[in-house]
Amino acid sequence: MEDMIHVDRAMSTNQDIKISAKGVQVYYADNHAIKDVDVEIDDKTVTAFIGPSGCGKSTFLRCLNRMNDTIDICRVEGDIRIDGEDIYDPKVDPVQLRAKVGMVFQKPNPFPKSIYDNVAYGPKIHGLARNKADLDEIVEKSLRKAALWNEAKDRLQAPGTGLSGGQQQRLCIARAIATAPEVLLMDEPCSALDPIATAQVEELIDELRQTFSVVIVTHSMQQAARVSQKTAFFHLGNLVEYDDTDKIFTNPHDPRTESYISGRIG
Amino acid sequence: MQSLTTPLLFIFALAVIGYFVAKSRALKVAGGDIRTLVSLPNQHALNTALATIIPPVAAVLLFALYGRLTDGGPNWFFTLVVIGLGVTGCALSLIGIKVESRARTYAERWILGLLIFASTIAIMTTVGIVFSMLFETFNFFGQYDWRDFFFSLSWSPNFRGNSDLGIIPLLWGTLYVSFIALVVAVPIGLFAAIYLSEYAGPRLRSVAKPAIEVLAGIPTIVYGLFALITVGPVLRDYFAEPMGFGQSASSVMTAGIVMGVMLIPFVSSLSDDIINAVPQAMRDGSLGLGATQSETIRQVVIPAALPGIVGAILLAASRAIGETMIVVLGAGAAARLSLNPFEAMTTVTVKIVSQLTGDTDFASPETLVAFALGLTLFVITLGLNVFALYIVRKYREQYE
Amino acid sequence: MKTSLLAADARTKKRNAAEKRFRAYGLSAIIVAMSALLILLTSVLVNGLSSFQQTFITMDIELAEERVDKEGNRDPAEMAKTTTIGYNSILRDALIATIEGEGLTTDLSNRDIADMISKEASATVRDRVLANPDLVGQTVTFDVLASGRIDGYFKGDVTLESAALDSNTSPEALTLAQQLADAGVIETKFNWNFFIWPDASVQRPEAAGLGVAILGSLYMMIVVLVLALPIGVASSIYLEEFAPKNRITDIIEVNISNLAAVPSIVYGILGLAIFINFMEFNQSSPLVGGLVLTLMTLPTIIISTRAALKSVPPSIRDAALGVGASKMQSVFHHVLPLAAPGILTGTIIGLAQALGETAPLLLIGMVAFVREYPAAYTPEAGLFGEASTALPVQVFNWTQRSDPAFVERASGAIITLLVFLLIMNAVAIYLRRRFERRW
Repeated sequence: MEDMIHVDRAMSTNQDIKISAKGVQVYYADNHAIKDVDVEIDDKTVTAFIGPSGCGKSTFLRCLNRMNDTIDICRVEGDIRIDGEDIYDPKVDPVQLRAKVGMVFQKPNPFPKSIYDNVAYGPKIHGLARNKADLDEIVEKSLRKAALWNEAKDRLQAPGTGLSGGQQQRLCIARAIATAPEVLLMDEPCSALDPIATAQVEELIDELRQTFSVVIVTHSMQQAARVSQKTAFFHLGNLVEYDDTDKIFTNPHDPRTESYISGRIG
Repeated sequence: MQSLTTPLLFIFALAVIGYFVAKSRALKVAGGDIRTLVSLPNQHALNTALATIIPPVAAVLLFALYGRLTDGGPNWFFTLVVIGLGVTGCALSLIGIKVESRARTYAERWILGLLIFASTIAIMTTVGIVFSMLFETFNFFGQYDWRDFFFSLSWSPNFRGNSDLGIIPLLWGTLYVSFIALVVAVPIGLFAAIYLSEYAGPRLRSVAKPAIEVLAGIPTIVYGLFALITVGPVLRDYFAEPMGFGQSASSVMTAGIVMGVMLIPFVSSLSDDIINAVPQAMRDGSLGLGATQSETIRQVVIPAALPGIVGAILLAASRAIGETMIVVLGAGAAARLSLNPFEAMTTVTVKIVSQLTGDTDFASPETLVAFALGLTLFVITLGLNVFALYIVRKYREQYE
Repeated sequence: MKTSLLAADARTKKRNAAEKRFRAYGLSAIIVAMSALLILLTSVLVNGLSSFQQTFITMDIELAEERVDKEGNRDPAEMAKTTTIGYNSILRDALIATIEGEGLTTDLSNRDIADMISKEASATVRDRVLANPDLVGQTVTFDVLASGRIDGYFKGDVTLESAALDSNTSPEALTLAQQLADAGVIETKFNWNFFIWPDASVQRPEAAGLGVAILGSLYMMIVVLVLALPIGVASSIYLEEFAPKNRITDIIEVNISNLAAVPSIVYGILGLAIFINFMEFNQSSPLVGGLVLTLMTLPTIIISTRAALKSVPPSIRDAALGVGASKMQSVFHHVLPLAAPGILTGTIIGLAQALGETAPLLLIGMVAFVREYPAAYTPEAGLFGEASTALPVQVFNWTQRSDPAFVERASGAIITLLVFLLIMNAVAIYLRRRFERRW
């Protein structure tokens, strides 16, 4: 195992590899949804997964924090490692894994609780705060990071569901980073938002890169180009191409990628 | 009403004859070619039959009501009106058969009228319930002081009059039994619903769900008998007597536990619906943060579903308060204000049954009190239902 | 601080333990609910299965002319002068003769021997003779009912110890009964008559049957079906397809969902006040019972019918309207037939509910003691107007009797009731499976 990590590191250029996936297959009952995907995701980088709908990009994303475990008919094969540790090892507790690999969903899904309780939920269940003052600090820090503090500081006890769509999604991001994850997975985080809110969230994602490794699934190529440094193109369950974002959008290697980028398929 | 049978039979015969006459007349008007008709012969026939039957039958129903109100029997006037209406309806609709007449529209209007009448029966039932009980309750309060009824602490009806008819001991028994029933049913029903909807595999679900539903289909008399011959004696022999709580097999505990079992499917199926209405995104959000399934359920799903669950519990409470056979057979007949759950106590519904099935004079307060009890019961359960349905509806709208 | 995913930390272990506990609560709730069902059914079966068995004494009865037909004319009217008391002694003598014929001896007095035979037996034999006067003068083999205590002994409910304390029987009688059983004279066998005989008085539980109750329940179900189905379907059609959305229809809808939750006993009060006191229909009649149950079942039928109508997709209505059908025609020709299986299922479930309902029937007098089979129609009482009782009420009735032998009867009646309900629900499930349509 040690050797493999060594090899992985040797392969990467100047950045650490956070997640490495090898030969990942996903089945929904008889449907082969992900076919033999290999990918290495760098730390402190925004990686975008793009591709037409139904191509498996969200499914693959959900493998990275084992959210697919909650679907009975879903079966995952292959090898996915975070910091060299196999996350599908039977000894791994998905609960601990998900604290380390946070997730933001397509539709803003704040809990029917106050803004404060939404953000404090993760730290509370994981026991990250020793006392109330600690917790207050975590909540404030997370809201600040999510660029929501100024809007929310006077109404922390108001229900999270009362915020606007963009604010709700930023609340969900704050909620996810409050547990101090190392990786943040985002499943089309802007698809339910208007352009202004989208711009705010994109700006936020760029800042989050300082602290986390961010993986974002998006159906918008412009968004991928704007926020990511690395891009992976999925098509019909295959990982077609994975490279620097600039390269993918200017000089794609695979004809399928080119067709998608130029709008011929999708 | 008896003597209106003959005119009614005559009307039905007339309708059948009218049906066929109308059909042939329509054909004749059309000159044998039905394509010239605006409405089909069948529709003319249907219109004639309906026009013949509906007005006289409506009149008979009105006359029956009128006859009851005035205590007058049916007379020749009624008979004449009934037959007259039938003949007029038949004749008018037959005369109206022309090439361009819209018999289908007329027939459909009659049918729409019938449909509307049918849907007013639900309203009439409610009105009937309220008025029948209000009327006799007023009679009762004419003979018995309402303050004594609502505030007296003692219930001891006496055949020779001078009864104490205070509702408080009965309400106490009712609420005590219902409370125990809910203490049994709510945790079991709620946990069963949670387990079935969040954890259970398809195999367990396919066995456990129907089994719990079977509990809901069992008539309450069966539960009553179960309380009487099994649960009551067991509780008495193994709990009440050894612990010195009493020697009665019928007790609040007996009725409460059995009623709790009856309510389990009620609570679990309502909670199941409500828990399933909580969006999956909510669960994903929590699981994605690294919460365990039980943390997700306790801290996200249940709080989100709470209004609905409260509504379900209120509906169950209303059912417990109105339940009759289990308490008749399991709780006992003695009105008592006691805290000991192993003692026999009685409830509002038990006393409604005993006061109305006894041999006392119908006009005596001892019998009429049953209507006042019934009205109280109706008002309490109606209040709970309206409130619960309102909460549940509000809750559903939240996630639609 | 770097933690490995491969080793669970202490906090995670604690949380996982809590998770396990929570699951265990859920599972035990299900186990409790299912075992409650199991205990309930077992208790009813254990107590009630024996009621389908009955103990009979087979003996040759000499119907001597001088005892049953003193005039010798074989005229049933004259023969009716011999009362059941007269037949009692004939039966007693026949049993004594049988005992002697088997070579058995006993210390029992003749009176005690007579008490081994059910008090109902003499009436049965007398009815047979009156219906068939040719039997007079012959010796006929009869299967007559044994008394309730003898019957209880063979079913294990009565023991020699309990008989010693019982004024209705004695250990000697039971010993003799055992000897007669060994000789094949007394036999416990399946008793179809349990479903046919009417109720019997407190002294003769062995003769009590469900005949009148089953008939009464059947009549009521007919009334409910004939009234509730058309009214329920008509009002559902109006509310679902035609009603404008306004305050009045809103009130009707709220009203229906509330009616579904009104305690059943309130319907009994309604029936007593409206149908019996105001309309002066006959007390205890299946007509009144059926009307009360109709009003009670209507909300159930309306709710399920509306659900069935709702599940028919609007495209069907549009298609019918598109070819020029009127709204009424589209509903009656297309929507209603497609919704029929759902409506039928709902109706059967409503009927099953009505069949098991007890409380309202107590208030309209169906708890009365009825031995005459009610006729469906008589000129005096009208349609379904004769006094009757009903299955669930018969159960209640029997639980109120002092003789413990009636507990067995009550449980037997419950089993019968549950079998009817099982059949109805099975039919409903079959219909749903058979005709279920997914759009």
